[in-house]
Amino acid sequence: MLQYSLRRILGMIPLLFLTSIVVFSLAKFMPGDPFGGEIDPSNTNPEYIEEMREKLGYNDPIHIQYIRWVTNFVQGDFGHSTAHKIPVFDLIVDRLPNTIFLAIVSLIITYIFAFAMGMYSGRRPYTWGDNLIAGYNYVGLAIPSFVAGIIAIYFFSFQLGWFPFAGSVEVGLQPGTWDYYVSRMHHVLLPALILGLMGTASYTQFLRNDVIENSRKDFVRTARAKGTSESAIYNKHILRNSMIPLITFLGFDIATLIGGAVITETIFTYPGIGLLFLESVDRRDYAVLMTITMLLSFLTLLGNLIADLLYGIVDPRIRLG
Amino acid sequence: MVKASLNTDGQVLIKNKQKQFSPWKLARKKFLKNKIAMTSLIVFVSFVLIAVFGPLFTTQDITRINFMSMNLPPSAEHWFGTDTNGRDIFTRMVYGARTSLLIGLSCMTFIIVIGTIVGAIAGYNGGKIDQIFMRITDFVLNFPFLVFVIVLNTILVGKVSGVWTLILVISLLSWGGVARIVRSRFLSEKENEYVLAAKSIGTRPIKIIGKHILPNVASTIIVQATLMLAVTIVAEAGLSFLGSGVPANIPSWGNMLFEARDSDVLRNKTWIWVPPAAAITITILAINFIGEGIKDALNPKSRR
Repeated sequence: MLQYSLRRILGMIPLLFLTSIVVFSLAKFMPGDPFGGEIDPSNTNPEYIEEMREKLGYNDPIHIQYIRWVTNFVQGDFGHSTAHKIPVFDLIVDRLPNTIFLAIVSLIITYIFAFAMGMYSGRRPYTWGDNLIAGYNYVGLAIPSFVAGIIAIYFFSFQLGWFPFAGSVEVGLQPGTWDYYVSRMHHVLLPALILGLMGTASYTQFLRNDVIENSRKDFVRTARAKGTSESAIYNKHILRNSMIPLITFLGFDIATLIGGAVITETIFTYPGIGLLFLESVDRRDYAVLMTITMLLSFLTLLGNLIADLLYGIVDPRIRLG
Repeated sequence: MVKASLNTDGQVLIKNKQKQFSPWKLARKKFLKNKIAMTSLIVFVSFVLIAVFGPLFTTQDITRINFMSMNLPPSAEHWFGTDTNGRDIFTRMVYGARTSLLIGLSCMTFIIVIGTIVGAIAGYNGGKIDQIFMRITDFVLNFPFLVFVIVLNTILVGKVSGVWTLILVISLLSWGGVARIVRSRFLSEKENEYVLAAKSIGTRPIKIIGKHILPNVASTIIVQATLMLAVTIVAEAGLSFLGSGVPANIPSWGNMLFEARDSDVLRNKTWIWVPPAAAITITILAINFIGEGIKDALNPKSRR
């Protein structure tokens, strides 16, 4: 397992290297100076601009610029945000916890609902409860997250007034107080519910089929013969076996949640990495744009790596391949 | 079917031959009997027809901002009402269908073609070529899709005309999954004896791939195609909703949904955002059901 993990982790390095080249080239193709922001825009004296360009290294050959960017990046110096006038690093540190918090809460919601529905469907297949759940999953797959999001805001925030429709916390609350945490939870709940409930389909379907398959196996018959109660058979014996393959979905979920963050955070005006990314596209804030693109690529890679490693744990044959 | 024929001795032979259908014909029959899939197909085809021919019959002008008729609720004159710029929503829906379906169908075609070619070459040849092609595929799959589409779109916007930027960008970043699946099907399919037979009589690889293996892999590819159609339509709508998709002057369902980001529109002017939201959902649902139907019809094990 150790050897397999090391091989996988080392395999990430060339991919990260290639990604960094792609991100750098894309930034170079963008209109304007992607690494700018240090030049004072009110000073239009061509000599001043030329001097600053020389000083900031825009006139260097491209590979030297790339090496400088990568070296700084690895050391945690992501440059300076032109729109926010603070180092990109501080901006990311400010926003990233929101995104991670949303991702974790929505994952928990997915798990709770998927397990409840999957176990129910697997225990009573082809009943109307099972059909209802299958129908829900069909609709859940067909409704895009942004449509579900605006419908949820319309009903739960505007019509019923149960949830706030923007932000991550009530303005004016002191961090660390009880009210602050309650308010954060309140703000994250609606986006997390939407994300979480949209993601149940694959889990539910998998769990249902696996439970049905397992319920025909010998160990279940043995358990029944011993007089184990039905609920103990399903909730202990079968669930334990069916859960193992499910953990491999986790890695892909990380990748999906991160990719989807841009959309969800925009609908709910939730100040995370995704919203910051879109703002920086609109404002041509290239340092932020490049950093987030790199960060999200890295997290996607990490998600896929976790998926691979979990596969290796679940199915030892994969390690040999 | 009772068939009579003369053999060489002049005797009349009566063969009681059982009805034989080709696999495709069987699949078609099965699909036609599937009520949900057929209903979905009718819905989808009518959307396509509206998208193609609808603009010939619409009378409202949607290219101009009309201050006289802003935010009108549905009426006899404006069936679905008007939007914040005073444009008729029904007419925009018809034109929007054109954009959204054009993007979905073209992306699907590109993705399937690229994915099939890459997957076929990698899977058929194996070895070094397979390694190289699959590393490239991994690389493409590892990009966070939305983020890179937005970045690429910002660069290319204005360089390629209108919707084709988006079509190009989405296609370039989405073929990885198809390539992987086609490759694995080719890997297992090429071990069959008919491939060996074709090879032994000196058939050229391109002919083996195209004429012999591809028809056997076609069912997988068709199912993938329906899946990709749904995915790309959602991608277009999502990107336009974010304001990074189709240029704002071209109506698309996503662009129309963009207006719902204004909380006043979302709260008080439901007629503006409900039609595009409904259209997208119905289209995706229909495509998913068609896909399920095709999958079911092409699976010889399922008997209905």
